[in-house]
Amino acid sequence: MAFRFTFDPNRCTGCEACVVGCWMENRAQQAAPWRRVPAFNPFHHPDLPGFSLSLACHHCDAPACLLNCPAQAYTQDPATGAVTLHGDRCMGCRYCTWACPHDAPRFVTATGTVEKCTFCPSRLEQGLEPACVARCPVAALGCEVREPAPDPQFPGLPPSSTRPGIRIVPLRRAAGPNLGAAPPEALLVRFLDQVLTMPEPKITLRGEWSLVVFTTVFAVLAAWLGASLLGGPTLSPWVFLGSGIAVMALGGLHLGRPSRAWRAGLNVATSWLSREIVLTSAFMGLGGLHLLGVLPGRAVGGSVAVLGFVSLFAIDRIYRVALRTGPWNLHSAHVLFNGLYLLGLLARIWPLALAMGLLKLGLTLHRQRFFSQRERPLRLVSGGLRVLLGFVVPALCAGWNPVLAGVFAVLGDLVARCEYYADLEIPTPAGHLAEVFRLRLAQARPPSAT
Amino acid sequence: MARFTTACPRNCTSTCALRVTVENGRLTAIDAHPGNLATPEGPCLKGLSYLERVYSPERLLHPLRRTPKGFERVSWDAALDLIAEAFLAARTEYGPQSLFYYSASGTKGLLNGRGLAFWRAFGGCTTTYGDLCWPAGLEAARLTFGDNRQSAPWDLAQARLIVLWGKNPAETNLHQMPFIEQALAAGARLVVIDPRRTQSSERAHVLLQPRPGTDGALALGLAHLIIAAGEVDRAFIASHVGGYEAFAASVSAWTPERTAAATGVPERQIRRLAEDMGRIHPMTVCVGFGMQRYTNSGQTLRAMQALPVITGNLGRPGAGWVYANLATQVFGAVKDPLDFYPPETPDGVVRVSVSTARLGRDMLAQQDPPLRVAWVERGNPLSQNPDTKTVREAFRRLAFRVVVDERLTDTAREADLVLPSKSLFEQSDVIGAYWHAYLQLRQKVIEPPGEVLPETDLYRALGPRLGLSAEDLGAILPAPGDVGVEAWMQARLDPLGITLDDLRVGPVLAPGTEEVAFADGCFTTPSGKVELVSSEAKTRWGVDELPTYHESVEGPASGRFPLQFLTPNTKNGIHSQFLRLLVIRALDPGPTLCMGPEDAAARNLQVGDRVRVFNDRGELCLPLTVDFGLRPGVVAAFNGWGAEDGGSVNLLSAGRETDMGHGAAFHDNRVDVERA
Repeated sequence: MAFRFTFDPNRCTGCEACVVGCWMENRAQQAAPWRRVPAFNPFHHPDLPGFSLSLACHHCDAPACLLNCPAQAYTQDPATGAVTLHGDRCMGCRYCTWACPHDAPRFVTATGTVEKCTFCPSRLEQGLEPACVARCPVAALGCEVREPAPDPQFPGLPPSSTRPGIRIVPLRRAAGPNLGAAPPEALLVRFLDQVLTMPEPKITLRGEWSLVVFTTVFAVLAAWLGASLLGGPTLSPWVFLGSGIAVMALGGLHLGRPSRAWRAGLNVATSWLSREIVLTSAFMGLGGLHLLGVLPGRAVGGSVAVLGFVSLFAIDRIYRVALRTGPWNLHSAHVLFNGLYLLGLLARIWPLALAMGLLKLGLTLHRQRFFSQRERPLRLVSGGLRVLLGFVVPALCAGWNPVLAGVFAVLGDLVARCEYYADLEIPTPAGHLAEVFRLRLAQARPPSAT
Repeated sequence: MARFTTACPRNCTSTCALRVTVENGRLTAIDAHPGNLATPEGPCLKGLSYLERVYSPERLLHPLRRTPKGFERVSWDAALDLIAEAFLAARTEYGPQSLFYYSASGTKGLLNGRGLAFWRAFGGCTTTYGDLCWPAGLEAARLTFGDNRQSAPWDLAQARLIVLWGKNPAETNLHQMPFIEQALAAGARLVVIDPRRTQSSERAHVLLQPRPGTDGALALGLAHLIIAAGEVDRAFIASHVGGYEAFAASVSAWTPERTAAATGVPERQIRRLAEDMGRIHPMTVCVGFGMQRYTNSGQTLRAMQALPVITGNLGRPGAGWVYANLATQVFGAVKDPLDFYPPETPDGVVRVSVSTARLGRDMLAQQDPPLRVAWVERGNPLSQNPDTKTVREAFRRLAFRVVVDERLTDTAREADLVLPSKSLFEQSDVIGAYWHAYLQLRQKVIEPPGEVLPETDLYRALGPRLGLSAEDLGAILPAPGDVGVEAWMQARLDPLGITLDDLRVGPVLAPGTEEVAFADGCFTTPSGKVELVSSEAKTRWGVDELPTYHESVEGPASGRFPLQFLTPNTKNGIHSQFLRLLVIRALDPGPTLCMGPEDAAARNLQVGDRVRVFNDRGELCLPLTVDFGLRPGVVAAFNGWGAEDGGSVNLLSAGRETDMGHGAAFHDNRVDVERA
């Protein structure tokens, strides 16, 4: 029978013995704590209660880490429910750290692999509770047989489709202690941004620049190959293979364990990253053979070009775990849109170019509006540059020099692609705690009252 | 693989039982021992962190001698020769009382007493009286109730009104929290009184935040309202309380208006709490140690004690005063606090003349003879006693200093010779507690690492060099080896009818333990009743016979610096222990100064700013955190960090005694703060 954690915030005092108890059990294989004890309202805002959580891996019923891992490094034991990361199968791509909204897998630079809570399988085997549960001095953490349950809703558990294996007891008192006095509202407002710190973003442009290059080059290659079949500029096999292999190698170096890169295609069944790697590899291989004349023919070329656009679609799917741009989570820098836009320009398919250009322009504007509503930074400079380079210049020069228009379109898309990586947001327990805090504060203190 | 019963000997309210696993002579796991019903779910993170602490690379494994280039390793022979040379010279030239023996609360155990016995045999020494921790409260309770007794820890689950007064068990007595939670689940009301909004107050219904040091006024104001409303237990008072009429008359001056003005607690909160205390029974008042570290705090605690007394909340399940349980002090004739007072008639051998609270000043003041050499064990006075600067000066004046410790503390760094001490797992001892009533065996489960010698072995080796005969040593110390230690323990347990084998199975309640304190209605005061009026308060301490409130010396009226500086304990350490361990460090990167938004805004400070906390005694630079729950006019920094982390909070505190009990008035400490 599978198990799940239970957690009672009425009992937890935030003592963090669970973190040390876990270390005691797993210290031989643990570089950094697997369990963390974040707090809600640790700075004691007078309008809200404070409480602590003890969170590690929830050994979800639909584990995002396992489903998204391209290397099949994860397994789930149906007997206990434990989701296990096998370090010897992990290639260090870190995709699970993006996919998991519970922030359970953590990349360890020293080993080049990810590690996370194991659910203490050898203890479960002996009929013992996991170490954190056994060593909780106030019996706030528990372990029980897993039963079908609605998704737990609690600050610190970002909404997801993972069906986490944790049951959280509701707080008995929703309010904090009645206080005799509170600091003036103006001072609460003044210091709130200093004390309510958002966690460091997991994905940053600085950290992921190689992916910007990789995805942009593939969009260009797919579009160029397609355009070359439709009367656009010809594509040299050496340019195609040289740039493609270079950026694939760059992607490989981005792995913590490049020697295990071969595992990347093992999970096409459920991982978009795996699918993307298989598709882009096939596109490179077949495209190279076609351009070298080994696999000649328009039909073959057309098929390979379609494969390229399917690869672009797969690339876009990878980032769905982290894109928060509105109702459909579309983005003006989706590589599929970039590829089709470029195809339209290079192959002089004006309706396509116009449609994609307008779609991308629309999405750019939508995003600015969407972000401004959520108090996320407006990107006026890069946004302006993006519109100028990506839309205005290509529109002006497409008629007399499609290639120049294409070059500018790519430059514009490159700007947008940089924004894209900076726009990606991974939900985390800490982020969710901060988000819920703001929400509840707004409810506790409606603007009219202040 | 073997499993052993043992217990954590730190100066901590919980005193947990432990079950430890040893594999191939190495400690591999620490777990809960359900035999201690007060701590059945196991130790806190500190108790678990021993796994690192015992094997830490920071641990001292051999003697170290100070040289101009720093510490260097020396052999035990060389170390003992150095001690003999310095100590014999001091004895010859100045007499034995020029040797200063300082021991503190670093670890519990019956063998601790062997240190002073050894130095007595040496010919004598000078040592301290008083205690840093809890004397004012102990003495107040002794005056009021005759003794420090309290109900079993789990009795709290039956309370319907719990008042955590200046106590933050979530950090300092974690194992009390489950009993509070049980009471809350059963519908109890929880009131917390603390200038800080602590973790323990988060589940409370009400938080009262008095100005630090004014708790006495609050208690008198509450008593006034309870008495005025007629919500007192007349039957209990008639049979068990002395001095009620005088007390009732004296508190009538403490109107809610005056109480609110003195304490800064809004009148409505005072009135509501008085109503609760009058009407909700049973009530247990759980009292921390912080608010009895002021110059008015013995009187403060006497005033607080009156509240459960007049409402009849004594001797009943779920009711009572929870401050200290001395049920395990069964090995000596005299209990705390009397046993740490200076003797009325000095014996001429051990000079008990240095106040622990005024350590530096009194050390410097000793004459005939002045202090020349020092031996420090189980203590880190350079970080933990008030007035660090003067303590340091006093130690630096000495010709030779020996410090016995597990790591290089601030005090050890000042020593001429540092000797490595055992960990709790390396020599057996019997330990008591002060919240629950269990006697526990702190069992030897591994051999001392490196060249570590338990203190008894160290004294045995040192004795002959100081001229002590084998016979002298035999009278002081257990016979050599584990067998000798166990026989020594058993001889002390025999009168209690307890065997070491009993303790190897699990904790054993001390003989005479009571489930509900004072259920016998027996109060060992001079009058045999609870004494709200105590003549001994006046004769011994020179305070009023009634509990009265006077502002403490560094209250706002002192006109000193604008902020009151609190230096509470953190869950991540016990005084200066544990905080440097990596597993703790990963969770707690270091000290900060905590300030409310009003005071931060008034100084134009931001979160993360490095600030200078200062007064006329010293200064400390710390990063600033802003806490919306901290009372204006109060700043707080956890104590325990030392020079490696920017300095002890006691660089700012004054060496000053509490009004009774020879305690240390740490929190009578005003400071100001500015951007560093």
